[in-house]
Amino acid sequence: MQASANNLNNTTITDHLVSRCKKGDVHAFRDLYNAYSGAMYNICLRMTGNTADAEDTLQEAFMQIFRNIERLENAGSVTAWIKRIVVNHCLSHLRRKKVYFEEVDNIDIEEDKAIVDEDNFAWTVAAIKEAIHVLPPGYRTVLNLYIFEEYSHKEIANMLDISESTVKTQYMRAKDKVRQIIKQKK
Amino acid sequence: MSESSFEDFVRQHRQNFEEAGPHSRVWAQLEQQLAPGKKRKVIQLMGRHWLKAAAVLVLMVNSVMIYQFIQMKKAQHLTNVSPEMQEAKMYYTAQIEQRLETIKSYPDALLGLDSMARKELELRNDTYQVLEAELIQNPGNERIKAAMVRYYQLKLDLLDKILEELREKQPVSQKQSDYEREI
Repeated sequence: MQASANNLNNTTITDHLVSRCKKGDVHAFRDLYNAYSGAMYNICLRMTGNTADAEDTLQEAFMQIFRNIERLENAGSVTAWIKRIVVNHCLSHLRRKKVYFEEVDNIDIEEDKAIVDEDNFAWTVAAIKEAIHVLPPGYRTVLNLYIFEEYSHKEIANMLDISESTVKTQYMRAKDKVRQIIKQKK
Repeated sequence: MSESSFEDFVRQHRQNFEEAGPHSRVWAQLEQQLAPGKKRKVIQLMGRHWLKAAAVLVLMVNSVMIYQFIQMKKAQHLTNVSPEMQEAKMYYTAQIEQRLETIKSYPDALLGLDSMARKELELRNDTYQVLEAELIQNPGNERIKAAMVRYYQLKLDLLDKILEELREKQPVSQKQSDYEREI
């Protein structure tokens, strides 16, 4: 009961904030930025791999958000809408950096190492972060979108314009690569 | 540290993967970009209401043009164009109007003039208007000035003749106008 009341209250606040943004209120833009910039910056940082590119991408994305918020019909979906714009900007940034997302048949990697026994493997936050950071950009993108941004394989396939099976395979291989990197560091 | 799977571990420690938020310079730059956005907003609004904006603009331009036309007309008044003709005009006007007043004091039956003829006796008839307009267009033209003076004199002569005839028709004791009392 308490949770649903809080949700209702949050929805009202978000509706009001979006409504103010639609009127071009700069204070509302600042409030919206303050509410979402932390999470969105982390997406940019994971996707681009460095602070400078993450800040540039975040800035570009928020400018687009402010300019297009009038088109947002359902204020309730503002989080997903903002996140999608940020992710799209990150993908555009990667494409500008010549990162291509190819079908798995065209990628020259060792086969059959993706399926590994994960039981009893000692994961740590720092080790995973460090390993993801040194992953090839293609693998890092698929892994981030799936495990951190929680998009489905199908959604990722649509975003990257590759098949769903390629996304699944690339994700498994990215995960295996993370494991190998961590093992090598030990 | 042992976990069942990579996914489970990430989900359980999700918050620990988060870094601090962006540097304040990001918002500072966004704020700078938002400032000229206000101008764009005005342009966007003008774009939406372009017909109203165009109508207001046309009205404003028309007002300015009408104001300038009136000012130009004022500058073209006879006083500014030919001061000596303005003096002559004032003299003859006073003389003509005095005689016209006297004529009007006689009964219509005795006057024997229809409305058209009466109108022609008025100072500012069509001939006079044409001459004055010509002089404004050609301020230095002596022929027009001479024609205007001639016009005034002819009109005075005509009015004097009418008055003379009226006096002959009606004895002085019967009708005495202000003009007659003065002379």
